Amino acid sequence: MAVPKRKMSRSNTRARRSQWKAEVPNLVKTVENGKVTYSLPHRAKVVTDSAGTELFMEYKGRKVADV
Amino acid sequence: MPKPTKGPRLGGGPAHERLMLANLAAALFTHKSIKTTETKAKRLQPVAERFVTFAKKGDLHARRRVLASIGDKTVVHELFTVIAPQVAEREGGYTRITKLGFRKGDNAPMVQIELVLEPVVAKPKSAKKAAAAAAAEAPVEAPAEAVAPAEETVEVVEAEATEAEATEAPAEEKAAE
Repeated sequence: MAVPKRKMSRSNTRARRSQWKAEVPNLVKTVENGKVTYSLPHRAKVVTDSAGTELFMEYKGRKVADV
Repeated sequence: MPKPTKGPRLGGGPAHERLMLANLAAALFTHKSIKTTETKAKRLQPVAERFVTFAKKGDLHARRRVLASIGDKTVVHELFTVIAPQVAEREGGYTRITKLGFRKGDNAPMVQIELVLEPVVAKPKSAKKAAAAAAAEAPVEAPAEAVAPAEETVEVVEAEATEAEATEAPAEEKAAE
């Protein structure tokens, strides 16, 4: 089995790890019942009743799938 | 005709992909709507729509070509007798993909792919096209219909106006007397 010959330096480890950067997702802003919500574009949303129970997923006024 | 896919096949190899897409199509025709990953759904879409096209043709040869992929006769029968008449009016676009979210576990983007079985609603023409169509029709119809009645109406209005003045004038004279 191949094994590393040398210990990886702290500097090299940190240089590798610093290359990973989180991306800011593109969100769409919508106002529902006076409440501003941010959501991913072109994605079905979960419809809930007044008690907060999840009913089904909806997209463009059409029932798409069960939760 | 579906565009050949480039890059690696789904699953283990070409045969695995063919089987997987055929099975997904069979599941779609049985349940009308299935939940799967976005990659599979996008590959399934042209395959499934091609089966529907065969089903709309409806002859024995088409049926045998579908049966070559989907082995299940009950599914193919359902496709040819139930689904095909429902999409008879539709010119392509027999399936719809809606993005749902990400799967717990591997964060794969999940979608719902469904058959579009609603009756076809004629799209209202966009303003530009409607205007262009109106312009194309206008020179033919306008001189014949629009102009002639307009002249007539003007004459009629004038005639009525003169009559009205005529009737008002004696009335005023009577009132003066």
